Amino acid sequence: MDFDLTDEQKQLREEVRRFADNEIRPIASEHDREESYPYEVVEKAAEMGLIAPHVPVEYGGVGYSAIENAIIIEELFAVDPGIGLCISGAGFGAEAIMEFGTEEQKEEVLPAVTSGESLLGSAISEPQAGSDVTSIATRAEKDGDEWVLNGSKMWITNGTVGDYFVVLCETDPEIEDRYSGYSQILVEADRDGFEAEKITGKMGVRASDTAEVYLDDVRVPEENLVGQRGMGFLQLMQFFDETRTAIAAQGVGIAKGATERALEYAQEREQFDRPISDFQAIKHKLAEMRTNTEAARWLTYCSAWSVDADPDRATALASMAKEFASRIAVEAADEAVQIHGGAGYVDDHDVERLYRDAKITQIYEGTTEIQKNIIARELLGDGIGV
Amino acid sequence: MKVLVTVKEVAEVGDDFAIEGTEIAESDLEYDLNEWDDYAIEAGVRLAEDGIADEVVALTIGPERSEETIRMALAKGADRAVRVWDDAIADSFLDVDTKVDLLEAVVDEEEPDLVLTGVQAADDAFGATGVALAERIGFEHAAVVNDLELDADAGVANVRRELEGGVEELTEVDVPAVLTVQTGLNEPRYASLRGIRQAQRKEIATKDLADVGLSPDDVEGALTVTSMYEPESESDAEIIEGDADEAAGRLAEVLREKGVEA
Ligand SMILES: Cc1cc2nc3c(=O)[nH]c(=O)nc-3n(C[C@H](O)[C@H](O)[C@H](O)COP(=O)(O)OP(=O)(O)OC[C@H]3O[C@@H](n4cnc5c(N)ncnc54)[C@H](O)[C@@H]3O)c2cc1C
Repeated sequence: MDFDLTDEQKQLREEVRRFADNEIRPIASEHDREESYPYEVVEKAAEMGLIAPHVPVEYGGVGYSAIENAIIIEELFAVDPGIGLCISGAGFGAEAIMEFGTEEQKEEVLPAVTSGESLLGSAISEPQAGSDVTSIATRAEKDGDEWVLNGSKMWITNGTVGDYFVVLCETDPEIEDRYSGYSQILVEADRDGFEAEKITGKMGVRASDTAEVYLDDVRVPEENLVGQRGMGFLQLMQFFDETRTAIAAQGVGIAKGATERALEYAQEREQFDRPISDFQAIKHKLAEMRTNTEAARWLTYCSAWSVDADPDRATALASMAKEFASRIAVEAADEAVQIHGGAGYVDDHDVERLYRDAKITQIYEGTTEIQKNIIARELLGDGIGV
Repeated sequence: MKVLVTVKEVAEVGDDFAIEGTEIAESDLEYDLNEWDDYAIEAGVRLAEDGIADEVVALTIGPERSEETIRMALAKGADRAVRVWDDAIADSFLDVDTKVDLLEAVVDEEEPDLVLTGVQAADDAFGATGVALAERIGFEHAAVVNDLELDADAGVANVRRELEGGVEELTEVDVPAVLTVQTGLNEPRYASLRGIRQAQRKEIATKDLADVGLSPDDVEGALTVTSMYEPESESDAEIIEGDADEAAGRLAEVLREKGVEA
């Protein structure tokens, strides 16, 4: 067993960290306060190859595996989860096209996304369908050689800034099997009847664009079907191991960022004539934050490794990593604010932002409760329901 | 045209560090690519991208650890690298003359048309290596270059040099030449993810003293470090932060405190 990163992975980490420090750190607060999308830095990230790096080289990506993805996400989120999400989420939905898309879809969408020219989104959730994905009501009906989509999608990352969306919709309601009858369809944002309304007032990750998307008789050519008709939900499930590992990496990054900032502050701030890091209560907090971050990181790497090397174990590992790392992120951000005292309660210190940002990792891509259901299901070995 | 870029891995210290004898404690040092060299690499890579340079070779004098740094130059687009090191080098303090001996040996072998160096290294800051190398190998040179346009057909580098007192000089330098590059010459890129991947397969040729035709006696430098200490600070400087309004307010306050009256 070997716990060392390769030279390439170390170099990758170092350069992404440098990018995040120089390009993201100085503008993070501003985009958080203004809830504005950081187009410029996303463009720079694209130049460096940070967008959808798992896309194969022939479609403009780097062909990275889940481990390298995790390293990149961790470094971005340690500096700023909001802008980190803009960069790591600029290619949401790319997996579906990579794995199930037609050659035309791949050639049209993937190079555009990796080059930063177009933004992609993945539209699954609806006002009435969150954890229970199979209750979605968005319909796509065949009319001649076109699909006609109707419905509304909720909480869609990149909703008002995106150019393409992979939309999960019901195409074959007559199929009785609970998991069949759904399809993934590629929808261009400039189609008639497509509308997106930005959701403002988010607690955290405020640089990231989130929107409600309305589909009103949106017509797309039948070639826009991604993969097999009726198999959309099952296709989607195939990527949960990867996407949940990615959210786990977000949690590791936030925990790391919170710990670094707390460590620095604790050594600077003096009370009772000594740095507060001299107090055992503070030392123990820092020790726990550091230990938890390390544990979450290795569980995440293990999950990332299993995606390629041991897919049978990946489902449970990805849920464990996602659940644990997101919890550690929330705890570490909480303790980081505590260590900052009053200074941590206002937005001139980053920990205030991390505290608000951390929470989302326990909600999206399957809530904490859903992850625990999955872990228990794998333990008890009973079917695929949640 | 072949471009040789010299790069150095420099040691950096934080606010707190310990001094052990005539050295800073190894555990307090962090290593990074010399800032000036980053601009030199960028200049070399751009010449290649513009079709002017056929090959960009990075050259360093440094221990095995410095391969991390030189690999960053490869990830940014240098084609291959040469690293010179020997136990005998590790044992002595490398002065400019000795460095030039080592660099000269590689220049003789590589026969570049253009050598790009940083103006200085962030750690020992002699600011002499590039110019001394030019003198030794008989190349034309320009120091502290902050703008560069190369006319390959005419064999002329049009450069702008930054001189003291805000004076700038425009000069033509015939190639082959050595240019010492000032920060701000360009905007150094981040290594792309693809570049990082490709860099793992690029060659870093290592050479010891015998390979470059020198003996341990040749690297016996004329300089030795006799002591190392942290100077006492005699006064405090205040850096005024905030927007123009706040900063002006604070400045006025300080001036008033010091007895300056309107
Ligand atoms: C900032 C942000 C970005 C997002 N981006 C996207 C996106 O790009 N695309 C997209 O499709 N969606 C996106 N989402 C939606 C996100 O995936 C959902 O919010 C999430 O799946 C939870 O669904 P819900 O909000 O409807 O909560 P609900 O499902 O209503 O859950 C409410 C509570 O009930 C619990 N609960 C529900 N079912 C069970 C159960 N079986 N057992 C135990 N507890 C249960 C949940 O754990 C939770 O605590 C985003 C959300 C946010 C906030």
